[in-house]
Amino acid sequence: MEITFEHVTHSYNVNSPTASLGLDDVSMTIKDKKFTAIVGQTGSGKSTLVRHINALLKPTSGTILVGDRKITSETNNKNLKSLRKNIGMVFQFPESQLFEDTVQKDIMFGPMNFGASAREAKAAAKKMIKLVGLDESYLEKSPFDLSGGQMRRVAIAGVLASDPETIILDEPTAGLDPVGRFEIMNLFKNLQLKGKTIILITHNMDDVANFADEMAVIHSGKLVATGLPKDVFNQQDLLKEDLLSLPKSAEFARELSSQGFHFDKLPITITALGKEIKQQLGD
Amino acid sequence: MEKIISIKNLTYTYPDSKTPAINDLSLDIYKNEWLSIVGKNGSGKSTLTKLIDGLIEADSGTIVIDGEVINEENIWDARTKIGIIFQNPDHQFVGATVEDDVAFGLENQGMPREQMVKEIDRALDLVKMSDFKTRDPQSLSGGQKQRVAIAGVLATKPQIVIMDESTSMLDPDGRKKVLDLVQKLRQEQDLTIISITHDIEETELSQRIVVINDGKIVQAGTPSSIYDIGPHLTKFGLEEPFSSQLVQTLRNSVKLPEGYLNEEELKEQLWKLHSSM
Repeated sequence: MEITFEHVTHSYNVNSPTASLGLDDVSMTIKDKKFTAIVGQTGSGKSTLVRHINALLKPTSGTILVGDRKITSETNNKNLKSLRKNIGMVFQFPESQLFEDTVQKDIMFGPMNFGASAREAKAAAKKMIKLVGLDESYLEKSPFDLSGGQMRRVAIAGVLASDPETIILDEPTAGLDPVGRFEIMNLFKNLQLKGKTIILITHNMDDVANFADEMAVIHSGKLVATGLPKDVFNQQDLLKEDLLSLPKSAEFARELSSQGFHFDKLPITITALGKEIKQQLGD
Repeated sequence: MEKIISIKNLTYTYPDSKTPAINDLSLDIYKNEWLSIVGKNGSGKSTLTKLIDGLIEADSGTIVIDGEVINEENIWDARTKIGIIFQNPDHQFVGATVEDDVAFGLENQGMPREQMVKEIDRALDLVKMSDFKTRDPQSLSGGQKQRVAIAGVLATKPQIVIMDESTSMLDPDGRKKVLDLVQKLRQEQDLTIISITHDIEETELSQRIVVINDGKIVQAGTPSSIYDIGPHLTKFGLEEPFSSQLVQTLRNSVKLPEGYLNEEELKEQLWKLHSSM
């Protein structure tokens, strides 16, 4: 589903002295079946933005189009089930949302909540536990006996079990070890390649460079840039004003260019950087 | 170098397990050093810190802290020399305000009120959180929370600070501030830092890295000697450093010296090659 924001503004605590703008006139399109990264400093409004997509928050003004569904300030809290079934959301530290006494029940909760039969939900649990890299024996365990990384995988399996078209991830790999992080990021990339739309909030610019097709930069509730990562990371104004940090490869290229090397465009992945360096050294 | 902790032939097996979590492990930790302990999940690194802090008791072997062999009688004294900063900043707050929270450890030590107020101010000043004294800890950012947690630890004047993945949940800016602070405090307050981490950039700050696998030390050395392992680092729960990943893409066609190069060294090499073209 394509998701479009049209002049979306969100104020917190409207009509109170502490009123503040969470989003300020944001217009953007998140493309269907693409992997879009949303970046910005802590408190910039990234989480506020994505919470509008499944109407957890409603705009103070403006419209969000999710496929043919329209969300405005008037949108009623009833009848949101079909929207939310199609938009899976993995919050930060999703393991804190586990509550059932077995992993299986926890994964089954979502599908059953959206009307699946117990048998269908069980089958989904079986499929999803493998997809997130755990074997079937985990289904009978208590989620609270698992390690942090395993709990994270179970929580993700629970979101995937409802088979949402769009998956929103709010820093899904924070606190995981590097191997775990890599596996989880690859899992999401594969889901995208199989036809899901992925929206990722992250602080990790290397993940943006390595996995995202598109990116958006948010600052103080405003959308300050959108486009292909290789273009956005080359917008000098963003870097100068400290609105964006660079992937390691681009940063290294920038430092290299202080003596001899020259990059028309900063490469954002190690492969691209290696290739450029070899060329410039006459290979 | 003066030893602050000396561990000899330590073994520990969890009650419900067949294989030891710590297996005949020996390690000396020196005063004022920053030691990184790395290893994949389940390698035994957290168990080791629990043994050092006396939260669990070893099946065999000895731990000497600041010259004393730890036993049941003196473990409480030994623990006053150690402060721990945990991973999740939300799980370590007890007070309704930042200052109450820092006071907690001191109240436990039975410190008189007047002295306590002074110590709290000193600790909050050290972590640059004095302006937040009367705030609710829950209203702070992750990085600010960890700085308050560090103040709580510093107030009790420990000699050893254990960081148990304490920056892994912070954003890059919060992480950098916490690490810079710890580095500064180590130098000014003569602290010994033991950092359990998966973050390769954090290990660069340490003098020594110890790699633990299956309850044993499998590698130990300076950061650059450990980074020399290259791609195998992932087996030990660490990411390969950026510079060594880049070196691998260049090796076949660009002439570079053997062994690990950090980013600065790699840049120097590339500039040299470029200027001699």
